[in-house]
Amino acid sequence: MAIPTLFFGGIIVFLLAWNFVVSLENWSLFNPVPKFVGLASYFYLFTQNYFYTSISHTILFTVGLVAVGNILGLLLAALLYFLPNNTQRAVYLSIFIYPMAIPPTATALVWLWLYNPQIGIDWLLLKLHLPSIPWFATPLNTQLALVLVEVWEYTGLAVLFYLASFLSVDRSIIEAARLDGASSINLLFRVLLPNSMNGFIITTALLFLFSFRIFDIPFIMSGSATSPTLMTLVTYIYYLFAYSEYFSVAAALATLVAVIAAIVIIPYALLGLKKWVFRR
Amino acid sequence: MTYKINDGIAFGILGPSGHGKTTLLRLIAGLEIPTDGYVYFDDELMSGPGRIIVEPERRNVAMVFQNWALYPNMTVYDNIAFPLKMAKMSRHEIDRRVREIAEELELTRVLNHYPKELSGGQMQRTALARALVKNPRILLLDEPFSNLDAALRDSARALVRRIQRERKLTTIIVSHDPADIFSITDVAGVIINGKFVQIGSPADIYNTPATTIIATLSGDINLLSAKVVENTALIANLRIPLGKGLINDNEVIIGLRPDEMKLLMEPQDIRGFIDIGKVRVKVSSYTLGVFRIVVSPISDENINIIVVSDEFIEPGREAHLLIKPDKIKIFNKEEKLIYPELKNLITAL
Amino acid sequence: MNSKYVVRVIKYAILQLVVAIFIILWLTPLYAMLVGGFKSNMEAASAPILLLPKQFSTEAYYFDWFGFGTLIGLEFPMIRQLLITIPVALASVVFGSMGAYFFYIQMERRPWVSNIGFSIISLATFLPAQTLTVPLIALTSSIGIYQTYWGLAFAYFIFYLPTSALLMSIFLPVVPNYLIESARLDGARDWSIFWHVIFPLVLPGFLSTLIFVFLMVWQDFFTPLIIATKPSLYMLPVAARQYVGGYAILYNRSFAAGVITSLVPLIIFAFLGRYFIRGLAALGGGAKGI
Repeated sequence: MAIPTLFFGGIIVFLLAWNFVVSLENWSLFNPVPKFVGLASYFYLFTQNYFYTSISHTILFTVGLVAVGNILGLLLAALLYFLPNNTQRAVYLSIFIYPMAIPPTATALVWLWLYNPQIGIDWLLLKLHLPSIPWFATPLNTQLALVLVEVWEYTGLAVLFYLASFLSVDRSIIEAARLDGASSINLLFRVLLPNSMNGFIITTALLFLFSFRIFDIPFIMSGSATSPTLMTLVTYIYYLFAYSEYFSVAAALATLVAVIAAIVIIPYALLGLKKWVFRR
Repeated sequence: MTYKINDGIAFGILGPSGHGKTTLLRLIAGLEIPTDGYVYFDDELMSGPGRIIVEPERRNVAMVFQNWALYPNMTVYDNIAFPLKMAKMSRHEIDRRVREIAEELELTRVLNHYPKELSGGQMQRTALARALVKNPRILLLDEPFSNLDAALRDSARALVRRIQRERKLTTIIVSHDPADIFSITDVAGVIINGKFVQIGSPADIYNTPATTIIATLSGDINLLSAKVVENTALIANLRIPLGKGLINDNEVIIGLRPDEMKLLMEPQDIRGFIDIGKVRVKVSSYTLGVFRIVVSPISDENINIIVVSDEFIEPGREAHLLIKPDKIKIFNKEEKLIYPELKNLITAL
Repeated sequence: MNSKYVVRVIKYAILQLVVAIFIILWLTPLYAMLVGGFKSNMEAASAPILLLPKQFSTEAYYFDWFGFGTLIGLEFPMIRQLLITIPVALASVVFGSMGAYFFYIQMERRPWVSNIGFSIISLATFLPAQTLTVPLIALTSSIGIYQTYWGLAFAYFIFYLPTSALLMSIFLPVVPNYLIESARLDGARDWSIFWHVIFPLVLPGFLSTLIFVFLMVWQDFFTPLIIATKPSLYMLPVAARQYVGGYAILYNRSFAAGVITSLVPLIIFAFLGRYFIRGLAALGGGAKGI
């Protein structure tokens, strides 16, 4: 009865292996009969400027989301935790999470408009006599604007897991601390945060993985995969495949990306997820 | 060791928790893989070292779990019918059998209820009905009464005993409560550290426990260190006369069961009892229809002896302690029984 | 006494205010999208996007739904998306549940089987899909399903069937082991145990997984981008991309395209959001209490 799961799970492993084999060849649109060339595709990749720009973008987006998402998520979770009304808390939590249910195509197009210098957010800032923000003025601004979209989309995850950690702290401990005269801030730093290690690990791992694989939003916001401003490692794979048509180089990059992802995923699954699920 | 449980017999397993009682049941059921050794049903090999030969679903073994393991998503009717459905019986036959067993176990009224709507006794009877409905070749009971209110246990035990006798159903029951074993089984075994240490009739285990641990497991018992001087065991001011030449050790442990002693305010001869000295009452408590009195020898407050009495005695009062000399159990310093002799027992100590 | 009470009220008001500000920030993009689609083309191009439409217009929806010139309308992509997403999600979750059950019972019998299985389904869940671009296209081409619905469904299964198995692995332990053992002694084989005992008890988890996977397939932009590039096979997210800014005539239509793509997810989220959130929580091992 596990055959379908094992079959499709097996295909993933098979495809990864195939990817690796292709990466050792010199297959491209111009060279339809590939030969084994060892690590040549990898060396070619390392000579490409786009490789280094896309790495730095991926690092920026990932570090940005993990840092901001964790801090903001923690803050919002604390605010929600202190709301006395359960219904209000649940509704607000859903509002922080709904961006994850919105198709990224829609997300990308709305944010493009919000960043419009005449009629977007800047219009509102102007009305409020605040300095306007030149969202797309420089590549760095554009990249930070993308981090902001990521934050909007994925911070709900952090709120969810921090709030869950807070709520799992025994009610009687909170009440005892309250009786001892602890203020909310004290409660947060002395009682809730020390109990949020799991929340931190889960949030960090998931934000890393979601940000590391983000493709659609930068792809659509920058118009296509050819624009280097928002190019990440995963859009670069697509660029190498669909525009340069160096299939083996795309496969080499894909192999590297898969290895990095696996280094995070497998320990997370076996040491984290599985332990949390099956501790009984 | 090899042990054969005969057909139609009720076999009880006593032992402290965590010493392998439940594991043994699970090995028989096929839920656990033996690391070593074999399980046979008649001459058919069921499990061998490191492997299951006949899967549990094909063994036709029924088990009543400690928490009854009723399927919460099914009604009582569906719970009982489940094993029959799995045996691909006709709908008509299933209905007949379910109603028959429900009638016998007084579940007819609750057939359409879900487990969460049942009382403890009804849940236990449902679990029993589900186990019996498929006419298993072996019935396994894992602490079947421990989740019941004390008041319900006796009737539940009587029910299991009646069913077992009527159907001559080979039954293995595991419990830490000797009352379960004594009320139901023909033969009992004591497991300590995963090994059978004594097997025999429940009465033999109760009367001649091979060690002090078995004595404790098979019922309440006072274990008192005593010095033996001139054929008399001395416990503070208490003097227990022993038969001439019976005991050669200088120090022994005397085992006295609370129900085999009496407290009297005034000295008085009662047939079968001897007066062993004066004690002072420390605490009187009441459980399940009898008073449990904790007393100490007059000359040593630190020794506690529990005695069952049919009347309340005020703490602080002095009384005479009487014992039945033929019921006394004597263990050597290594906590092994030296008197009376082990009878009719298969021991592997 | 009185001043203490006042301080508490002020603190509470500040808390509510700060939370409300974040909530408004979070809802702004949705609001902009909803109002933008109801503006006339002229207004959408020039008026601030956060203002309500002066004149209510559904012209953009008409335009997007039926298409215009070389732009493909969203009508058929929407129907296609529904017809493919529903069975794909359902089958993924049913088969994934069975896989999860298998790994669950192997936990005790053969832990290594369970560990390898768990690693693979986690890898499949979190791996960036782009890493499989080259071999996935090569594989689907070589078995003749590239640029077909079958190829698309096949690719979805590769990613979302293991995802379902992972989520179900997290929901399964609500069924205590002794029920499974009891069912075995009652003569049930794995298949019967799954359908009679496990499935009814994990139904809430099943629903969460189903909703989660449905939304993930619906949002998936990359898989149809590489497998179904023919306009006659456009799935909704790919088709909607035609309407994303940059082209001189697409102001209000761009918002309307966003609304059309998001409509089904938004409705599901509004009514079954609880299940989606539980599905998300499962990615982190369950997050009990939410």
